[in-house]
Amino acid sequence: MISKKTRKQISTYFRDRFSRKFFLKLRRTPTGIFGLFLVLLWVTMSIFGPFIAPYSPTKMNMAQAYSSPSSNHLLGTDRYGRDMLSRVIIGSRSILTTALGISIISVFIGIVIGFTAGYFGGIVDEVIMRLMDILMSIPSLLLAMVMLGIIVSPGVLSVMIIISIVYSPRTARVARSALLEYKSEEFVDAARIRGESFFHIVFVEIFPNTVAPLIVEGSARFAYSIMTVASLGFLGVGLRPPTPDWGLMVAENKGSIFLAPWTVIFPALAIASLVIGASLFAEFLDKYLRRV
Amino acid sequence: MLAYLLKRVGFILISLVVTSIIIFSLLEVMPGDVAKVMLGQHATEEAVKSLREEMGLNKPVHLRYLSWLNQILHGDLGESMYMEGVKIGPLVARRAFNSALLALACLVIFVPLSLIFGAIGGVTEGTWISSFISISGLFALSIPSFVSGIFLIFIFSLVFPILPASSNIPPGTTIFQNLERVILPAISVSLIMFGYVARMTQSSMGSVLRSDYIRTARLKGIPGNYVIYKHALKNALLPAITVVGMNIGWLFGGLIVVESLFGYPGIGYLLVLALRSRDIPLVEVIMLSIVSVYLVANFLTDLSYSLLDPRVDIKG
Repeated sequence: MISKKTRKQISTYFRDRFSRKFFLKLRRTPTGIFGLFLVLLWVTMSIFGPFIAPYSPTKMNMAQAYSSPSSNHLLGTDRYGRDMLSRVIIGSRSILTTALGISIISVFIGIVIGFTAGYFGGIVDEVIMRLMDILMSIPSLLLAMVMLGIIVSPGVLSVMIIISIVYSPRTARVARSALLEYKSEEFVDAARIRGESFFHIVFVEIFPNTVAPLIVEGSARFAYSIMTVASLGFLGVGLRPPTPDWGLMVAENKGSIFLAPWTVIFPALAIASLVIGASLFAEFLDKYLRRV
Repeated sequence: MLAYLLKRVGFILISLVVTSIIIFSLLEVMPGDVAKVMLGQHATEEAVKSLREEMGLNKPVHLRYLSWLNQILHGDLGESMYMEGVKIGPLVARRAFNSALLALACLVIFVPLSLIFGAIGGVTEGTWISSFISISGLFALSIPSFVSGIFLIFIFSLVFPILPASSNIPPGTTIFQNLERVILPAISVSLIMFGYVARMTQSSMGSVLRSDYIRTARLKGIPGNYVIYKHALKNALLPAITVVGMNIGWLFGGLIVVESLFGYPGIGYLLVLALRSRDIPLVEVIMLSIVSVYLVANFLTDLSYSLLDPRVDIKG
C-alpha cells in the first residue's frame, strides 16, 4: 500500500528532523532529557527484566510475608511473600506494551476514520464526525470499563484494542484536521487531475505531510494510555491476578497500606515516574516538531 | 441564537438516545445470565427459564430496549437486581449528591486556585517561579488520581496522621458530619484539573502579555499591575474556561477511581460495585446519568464561552 516514493519521503522526513539538531535541542531541554531517561529506564527494565529481577514475580513464600525492605528484598514483600522489587520490574512489561500498542493502533484507526471523513467531506464527513462526537460524550474511562466488562478474562491484547477504540474519536479528529490542511494544496489537485486513486492521493501525496501532528498525537496518547491502563488495573477490570500489573498491585495491597506501606507506595511511584517521564518527553516532542 | 440553542439541545437528545443504545447493547453481550445470577448457582433449569420469561428476557433485544426506554421516560428507573427491593432512583440520587460534593469542591476551590497559580506563572514568565508552576502543573495533570490519592494517604494518614484514609460514612451520620473524610478525596479528584487549568492559564497569560495591545497599554504609561488586572486577565481566562469544560470527562474518571480508593459513597464507586455484581439495570441508569451531566456541562461551557467573548458569534 505504501509505495517506494512514500517510504523515501518519510525517511527523508525523519532524517531531517531526528538528526543532530534533535539531540542538540534535547540537550538544551533538561525536562525532555529527564523524561526520556525515565521512559528508557522502564523500557530497559521491561526488556531485561527477567535478568535484573532477583526473584520470580509470582513465586509465593508465606514464611516471608510482609517483610519490610531489607538487603534480601530491597522493596520488601507482599502478603504472599512475593518480592516487590521483582513484581515492580516485571510489571513494567504489560503496561509498556499496552501503552505502545494503544498509541500505534489508536492513531492508525484515527487515520483511517479521519482521512476518510476529511477526504470525502460533505455528508460522509458530517455523519462520521457526529458519530465520533457521540462516542466522545461517554467519558473514556467509563466506556473502557463497560467494554472490558464484556470480556471474561482480559489480556494485554484486549485491553489494547478496547482502549484504542475508546481513543479513536480523538485521534480521528487530529488526523482529519491534518489532512484538511493539505487537501486543497496544488500538488493534491495535480494528482487528482492526473487521475490518481484515493489511496494514492491520501497515502502518497498527503500522508507524508501529516506525520508531525500524528507523532505528537501518538506520543500524547502514549502518556494518556499509561494513565488509563493503570486506572483500569486499579479498578480490577484490566489484567487479572496474579499478573504483576502496577495498577492491580496498588488495588490488591491498598488495604495493607498501614501494615506494609511498601507494597503500595513502590508500585504507585513506578506508575508516577513512568507517566511523568512520558508526559515530559511528549511535551518536548510536541514543541520540537511544531517548530521545525 | 434560538437556532443554535435548538441545534445543541437536539444534539444532546440524539447523543443520549445513541449512547443509551450503545450502553444497552454492550451490557446485553456481557457474559453471565441475569436470571442465573439472581437465582444463584444451584438453580434448576426450569426455575431459570420461568424467571427469564417473567422478566421478559426471552423477548427480542429491540423490544426489550423499547420497553426499558418507555419505563425510563415515565420516570420509573426500576429496582436494583443485586440489592433486592432497592429502588434505583433514590439510590442513584443520594450517591450522585455525594459525588457532586466532590466535584463542587474541585470546581469551587481548586479551579479558582489554579487560575491564580496559572496567572502568576504567566506574569513571571522566564523566571524560576514560572518554570516551577509549569512543571508542578505537568506533574499534577499526568499522575493518575488513584496514585496521587495513595501519596496523600501516605503523607496525611500515615506519616502525619491527621486525616482519615477511608471515607466510609458511619451509618446513622450524614456526610456533613464527616467533612474531614471528604478532604483527601476532594484533593485527589481535583489535581488533574488543577494541572490542566493552571498550565492553560499560564500559557494564555504569557501570550496575552506578549501581544500588541498590552504593549500599547504599557507604553501609554498605565501602571503594570493595572494592565495585568484590567487588560490581560480577562482575555487570558477565556481559554481556561474551555479547558474546564473539556476536563469534565476526566473529572468523572477521577471520581470513579478516587471513590473506589477511599470507599467514598458516591456514584463512581456505586458504578464499580454495580459492574462487579453485574447489576445491569443499575449500571444503565448510572451510565446514562453521567453521560447526560457530561453533555449538559459541555453545552454550558460553550454557552458561557460565547457569552464571555463577544467575538464568538453563535448562529445555527
